[in-house]
Amino acid sequence: MTSPVFRFVVLVLAWLPLAFAVWYVLAPVILFPAELIVRGFADVALRGLVDTIDSHGAVLSFVTSLRPGEARSAGIVTVDVNVLLYAFGLPLFVALVLAAREKPLWRPLLVGYAVMMPFIAWGVLADFLKNVAITAPPLVASQAGFGPRARDMIAFAYQLGSLILPAVVPAVVWVLTHRAFLTRMRATGAAAATRGQH
Amino acid sequence: MARFFVVFLVLLAALFAVELTPWAQAYFVVPWTNALAAISTSIVTLFDPNVVASGKVIRSVSNGFAVSIEAGCNGVEATLVLCAAILAFPAPWRHKFAGLAIGVVAVQLLNIVRVISLFYIGQWDFAVFEWAHQYVWQALIMLDVLIVWLIWVRRVPAADDAPPPALAAG
Repeated sequence: MTSPVFRFVVLVLAWLPLAFAVWYVLAPVILFPAELIVRGFADVALRGLVDTIDSHGAVLSFVTSLRPGEARSAGIVTVDVNVLLYAFGLPLFVALVLAAREKPLWRPLLVGYAVMMPFIAWGVLADFLKNVAITAPPLVASQAGFGPRARDMIAFAYQLGSLILPAVVPAVVWVLTHRAFLTRMRATGAAAATRGQH
Repeated sequence: MARFFVVFLVLLAALFAVELTPWAQAYFVVPWTNALAAISTSIVTLFDPNVVASGKVIRSVSNGFAVSIEAGCNGVEATLVLCAAILAFPAPWRHKFAGLAIGVVAVQLLNIVRVISLFYIGQWDFAVFEWAHQYVWQALIMLDVLIVWLIWVRRVPAADDAPPPALAAG
């Protein structure tokens, strides 16, 4: 008899290509809520630093008030951030939900989608801030006005938002929304282990 | 469930914060990453002798293509997630230690596959490399962590462990 975990993995791997394809093609639509959060945060907390945010597909262009050089008329600094970099957990989450086949499917899909949007926005905003406060040339970074402590916080937020959150959040939400599935899977595992002992 | 997730998140935050310290970078992350590059290269040279490793960089001598194993691709964060998940779950310590030992190896084995596959995908088509590197392999490594954890959870004897509130509540 095939292990339920093996069957589950096969199903996830079967759904993953389709989930990735839909995610990539519909990214500007699917990720629009995250874009709204980014715009809202920029309006409230980054006023004076971010003039406008243009979207080109899944790329957000932050048009800043920063100048690239000392001359005031030398143009402005823009920072492009690829939202997909922080959203690859969405197709993984969808594949996990579809593979688990827990009815009703729409509930975990909706919950996961809603929960992941702020974390995707986190990654995008931290990426932008890291660009202007840390990796920009000193002349640009100094205009941004972040002190050493703020730069440390931005660095940590960026590392967390790029290395941990995009991968962990979908897994955590999936576990939280599939407790019954996990309980059943665990029970079959325990039963198999008991049979193995006798 | 709540206790498991609180402990998991606290452990993950602590492990991640420690990982970012200069000390951990110098004495753990950098040697780990260099070892990953060396191991991947030694496997590759079994069928492709024109590949060398230098620190965290794997390079093809024949065409000059090289990949540098950076943070996020060295499997350290995936390993931390798995460690936090196993340590947070209510289970006997001997099961935790076994899960950590086998799980870390399982995650790193797939990570070696990731590094080697990206090295060759990059020589074939850079656009595909970017896609595989930035999206697909990131998801697959996390899936690996989740599956390893699921397999481990199934093997934790129910009699020995306090009823996992997380799962029982479901």
